[in-house]
Amino acid sequence: MVVPAARSNMLVSLGRYGLLSVILILMVFPLLWMLRISFMGTGQAISMNQVLAAGFTFSNYMDIFSGDLIGRPLLNSAAVGLAVTGGNILFCFMVAYSLARFRYLVNKLLFITVILILMIPAHIIIIPLYVLMLKTGLYDSYWALILPWLVNPIGIFLVKQYIESVPPAMEDAARIDGAGDFRIAFRIVMPLCKPALAVLAIQVFFTNWNSFLFPYILTISSELRTLPVALALYQGHQAVDWQHLMAGSSIAVLPVLVLFMFMQRHVVSGITAGAVKQ
Amino acid sequence: MCRKIRGVMGSQLVTIVLIAVLAAPSVIAGTTIEWWQFWTDPGIKPTIESMVAEFEQAYPDIDIKLSDLTWADGHAKIVLALASGTGPDVLELGSDWIAQFAAAGHLADITDHVAAQQDGFQGWGMATYADRIYAKPWILGTRVLFCNRGLLTRAGFDTDFAPITWEDLLNAAVKVTALGDDIYGWGSNTAEKHRLYKKFLPFFWSAGGQLFTDDGKYCVLASDRGIAALHFYKQLHDSCGFVSNQRGIEDAFLDGKIGMTISGDWLLKRIEIEKRPIDFFTTLIPGIEFTGRSFLGGEFLAVNAASKKTDAALKFIDFITLAKSQVAFCKANRSANPASVEAQQDPYFKTNPNLQIFIKQIFSANHPPVNPEWVNMETAIEEAVEQALFGSRLVATSLHEAEKKIMKLMQE
Amino acid sequence: MRWSKPTALALALPWLLTFAAFWLFPIVYSLVMGFTDYQLLSRGYEWVGLENYRQLLADPDFIKALKNTFVFVGGTIPVTTIVSLGLALLVSRQFRGRGLFRAGYFVPSITSMVVVALIFTNLYQRGGYVALLTELVGLSPPEHGFLFDESTALYSIMAMDVWMAVGYYMLIFLAGLKSIPVELYEAAEISGSGRIRQFFWITLPLLRPVALFILVINTIKSFQVMVEIFVMTKGKFDTSTMVYFVYEKGLTTQFQFGYASAAAYVLFVIIALFSVAQFRLLRRRQPLW
Repeated sequence: MVVPAARSNMLVSLGRYGLLSVILILMVFPLLWMLRISFMGTGQAISMNQVLAAGFTFSNYMDIFSGDLIGRPLLNSAAVGLAVTGGNILFCFMVAYSLARFRYLVNKLLFITVILILMIPAHIIIIPLYVLMLKTGLYDSYWALILPWLVNPIGIFLVKQYIESVPPAMEDAARIDGAGDFRIAFRIVMPLCKPALAVLAIQVFFTNWNSFLFPYILTISSELRTLPVALALYQGHQAVDWQHLMAGSSIAVLPVLVLFMFMQRHVVSGITAGAVKQ
Repeated sequence: MCRKIRGVMGSQLVTIVLIAVLAAPSVIAGTTIEWWQFWTDPGIKPTIESMVAEFEQAYPDIDIKLSDLTWADGHAKIVLALASGTGPDVLELGSDWIAQFAAAGHLADITDHVAAQQDGFQGWGMATYADRIYAKPWILGTRVLFCNRGLLTRAGFDTDFAPITWEDLLNAAVKVTALGDDIYGWGSNTAEKHRLYKKFLPFFWSAGGQLFTDDGKYCVLASDRGIAALHFYKQLHDSCGFVSNQRGIEDAFLDGKIGMTISGDWLLKRIEIEKRPIDFFTTLIPGIEFTGRSFLGGEFLAVNAASKKTDAALKFIDFITLAKSQVAFCKANRSANPASVEAQQDPYFKTNPNLQIFIKQIFSANHPPVNPEWVNMETAIEEAVEQALFGSRLVATSLHEAEKKIMKLMQE
Repeated sequence: MRWSKPTALALALPWLLTFAAFWLFPIVYSLVMGFTDYQLLSRGYEWVGLENYRQLLADPDFIKALKNTFVFVGGTIPVTTIVSLGLALLVSRQFRGRGLFRAGYFVPSITSMVVVALIFTNLYQRGGYVALLTELVGLSPPEHGFLFDESTALYSIMAMDVWMAVGYYMLIFLAGLKSIPVELYEAAEISGSGRIRQFFWITLPLLRPVALFILVINTIKSFQVMVEIFVMTKGKFDTSTMVYFVYEKGLTTQFQFGYASAAAYVLFVIIALFSVAQFRLLRRRQPLW
């Protein structure tokens, strides 16, 4: 049977879109489920009938904010996230610039170290970091949430690659004019690195916003909980309080989604950097 | 004139010295005791605070600094504080934590101090480690059988029926389950750490099972009686069980969906506070042929071995555990079991049939061994129960495995 | 270009300090701790040599955690890699709405693992959505929920992990696909090679470095699975993993730092061996020309 070309193209197209859509639904469904439950009134069981039949209400969101179940964790996540991101922008740039422009033997060694660190599994420092924080009195403090994460090796790698692609002409010119090293670094090169730093910022912020293990391990007071920790430790008054939990989860997902929508390109390049030699 | 001035200055000097000498004791003796406790609920916290205020009035030179702990992270906080030497003077401890801290030398040995008070309190066994006493019993806790009279009568039982033997229990549970789709005869706990073993052990002990041989050398969890107990527990669970976590079971029980379940005195508090219209009663834990044995735990007050104010701390503990303090606390908290024998005689307990059951149950309750490794043993027992109930393991195999694990823990 | 050494050092200092304090020192400290019986509550500690390691090998909980971790890695990595490659191929050509589909597939991977674990705990519960689907296809779901049954708990978590990760690796594969020069495909078309041949002789070989990258980072990540276990099952029903074991032994109840550190090092060595093996196996050949 000979199918006209246009027809067969359309069928293939349809088939393809069908497949793509099925997959899309599979991928997005759990998140939609989370949203749906977050708008269901409490006291309703989470059965299929209820999910479809129940109305929409904002009460869960109001509850978690007024009951201060999410206000503080949200602030903590935001504050810590900004601090770590800011720190990374500054410190990663500094060491990346040093590695890129200052050609010393030691630097080569240091760079290899950076690559090696990328491969070190983080679990190995769970116990020693805990003990270290206890002994230095930094346990259960904001320092514990911020200090260890101030310089991310991925960030160093990203920025260094970028700096190397920038011709040193401007720096040489500034040097001839008599500018000092630090001036050149911060006044001239850093602004040029904005694209790489933006990518770095997004990567770091995402990772930090979502991270659970170390914030959980290095703190114990409920005032210091970040969002993921607060959600994981949430104990509602009911057997499991799905509605409020899903509302809190939606709040946790929101900033990430918004950032992704607006900075998609940056998010993507942060992830693919290093994977593919460009 | 000079003599007069000298005289005035002299008397002033004397006055100053006198004042200094008289004031000195209160300046020197003014101490602050730190107390970490777990009763943070807005319903009971005021009672705690008023007890503290009363104490401070009775002992004006001692101040109490109160700190709250939650059950979620309290244990970890205590461990961290004790390890770093920054712990409070007085600690409230759950009964199953005492061994761990006593063995590590963090609790003060108060055997001599309480020697005269032994007969006045119940529960010393849980605070005794290596023949020395390390904490004072405050509020005891046991588990009894809660029954929904409405469902039982609907299932055809008399209004004054109460299950006494396992046969009664199973029979009643099956009949209640048959009442309807949404109704279950038995509330059975799911895999919940630090909870499941408290539901299984009553059956274990009621069957005559022992965790250890009398000389304490061998674990005999997987004896015939232990296996029979887990068999029965599983049978109850499989045929009539509403499986959920503690909170879920309580909710369902209070909604009238569960016939019987094992629970503690906090459930009485919930019923009262939430004004639930449930027709219920409590009864002693059933045994194989007669009443069985329940689980015993409780809250204890201990003194930090590193504290420099042991005397003041002990005064405070003694005050809190006075009969009248205990009665006041129990009334506010709807607790059933003060550790003080004198407090137990108070009309408040005598006139409440449910509280009477709890007090009676204490006389027929066992507590877990006071062993620093107990928490790991507890985990092993819970795993055995979980595997028998939810997994594909045979009852005997699960118990044997747990027994082996516990033996290993004992050898370390 | 004689740029001053002190400046170089000064610029690198923040990194050097944080690295030394929070990575280098802890790694060495952990190694040392693994040879002692250091516990939080005990007054002193002793050097016990390899005793911790010996105990670990005899510890049924450790063996179980080890086994579960390997099951997890072995089960999720091949599936994730193949599915994400498939997705990448599916959305690599230009077509209307491509961006939307790509974004939709990717979104799960930027949410927090805690959030995902909570959602799936709900989906997997008794009488939940997945149970319903299972019944629809004629199978009977586990009585108490997928996470309360030894035979399904770990696999349920693995499925969730695959779901979450495929979008992320799809992106990386896409970058890899994009870097393959179009001319190669055109040349192949001209010389008559079909799509399938092109895939096996052009696409796959040139994706090797990307695939290696994905394999290595996915392996490193998967060996450290812990958060899902913590949120969903707390290790019950045979779902405990190596890092969860380290957490349980080292940071709860008895705080056995020495013992847990030893366990962490066992995992460290395993991961290192796997990474080296992967590099060796997949980097051997040079590109075809």
